[in-house]
Amino acid sequence: MAKERMEQGRRGRRAGVVKGSGRGGRQSQRSFYFVLGAVALVGAVALIYIATRPPQRPMVTTIDPAANTGEARPHVYGDPNAPVTIAEFADFQCGWCAQFAIVTQPDVKRRIVDAGLANYHFYDFPLPGHANAFPAAHAAACAADQGRFWEMHDQIFMGQNDWAPRRNPKGAFEEYARQIGLDTREWERCYDDQRHQERIQANAAEGMRRGVSSTPTFIIGNRMVSSAVGYDVIRAQVDSARVAQGLAPVGAAPAPTPGGGSR
Amino acid sequence: MTKRMVIALLALVGALVSTYLALFNLGIIGELTCSVGSCQKVQASEWSSFLGLPVAAWGVGFYLATLAVALAGVQPRLEESRRVSLVLAVLTGWGVLFSAWLTYLELFVIREICQWCVASAVIVVGMFILSILDVRENSEPRTEQWTGAGEVTPSESGVSPPPHPRV
Repeated sequence: MAKERMEQGRRGRRAGVVKGSGRGGRQSQRSFYFVLGAVALVGAVALIYIATRPPQRPMVTTIDPAANTGEARPHVYGDPNAPVTIAEFADFQCGWCAQFAIVTQPDVKRRIVDAGLANYHFYDFPLPGHANAFPAAHAAACAADQGRFWEMHDQIFMGQNDWAPRRNPKGAFEEYARQIGLDTREWERCYDDQRHQERIQANAAEGMRRGVSSTPTFIIGNRMVSSAVGYDVIRAQVDSARVAQGLAPVGAAPAPTPGGGSR
Repeated sequence: MTKRMVIALLALVGALVSTYLALFNLGIIGELTCSVGSCQKVQASEWSSFLGLPVAAWGVGFYLATLAVALAGVQPRLEESRRVSLVLAVLTGWGVLFSAWLTYLELFVIREICQWCVASAVIVVGMFILSILDVRENSEPRTEQWTGAGEVTPSESGVSPPPHPRV
């Protein structure tokens, strides 16, 4: 009997305190709305700050825009006559290059290059410490012979963790060649003959001559950016190069039309 | 603080996290702050959109809906409503399933973890647990119960039951 009374008392108390609308309940509601408002305010301020802060521009230097490109032959994406060129010097075995290629480059291609606001030049810059960087550059150059450089470029970067540690990465590259629909026999002949060795070396030499010392490095107009930067930094440099030529910046340009790229 | 108040607070935090990711997806934020895993790889993957909208945008909608229901549920008129408890449980239960699917994709398909996605999943699970506890609390009988021998227990609300008719 006493136990039952205790149980009844417990139920009644809980009903009164937790769900009640007495003074305790009103106070609890007031403090709840205060905490909720404070969290909303802090969150909103943080989001506004993040969305509007100026983009960080790591390691941006000024260089001579008239630098001669010599015999180097980059792989080109977009309109060859576009007013601005985004030149990337990259190593297929460099992790930051892969991150840029996977995360940022699709945005750059779609929103800047496909819109005809700039074109994209890819220069091989295989670093000496990366044993498979030269073969990878070769694999991509041989795909370029069949008009599929960018597809191979994407496959090689996406599969970097797979082929980079191998003693001989050819098998992985051959598989990519098959996946993107290349004539694998022709691709293999090109790869085995090292047909594009001179081109890759010339592209790397071009980078050295223009002051490139790390990958990825981007040269846009008279700016050099040595870091796997985000889309905003690339866009800002393209903007300044366009404005320097009296053109509208990217933000003010018309929206891109899908599938507008060329090779 | 009641469970629904905590759910509302968690939903607000979740909405802020989702908004952050949605701003990245919309190209308003250039880079994500990510000290664990690779948020940008996950957010740039093909799985980052669902039915034509960024997953993060769905997240914002989900959290705002949960916040609205939880806020309604703390109003004095609805604070004992079992229907609100059930709606919260169904909403957050659906959120748990969706988060489980996204976490599976991160771990086994994309093979990268995004700390903000993990934070969101933890928030959803927390809200779901609280919703279930809320349902249980509001499912306790509030009727008078016949305990035999001419005694009637008081109702849950503390109001005395009507006198038992004597036969």
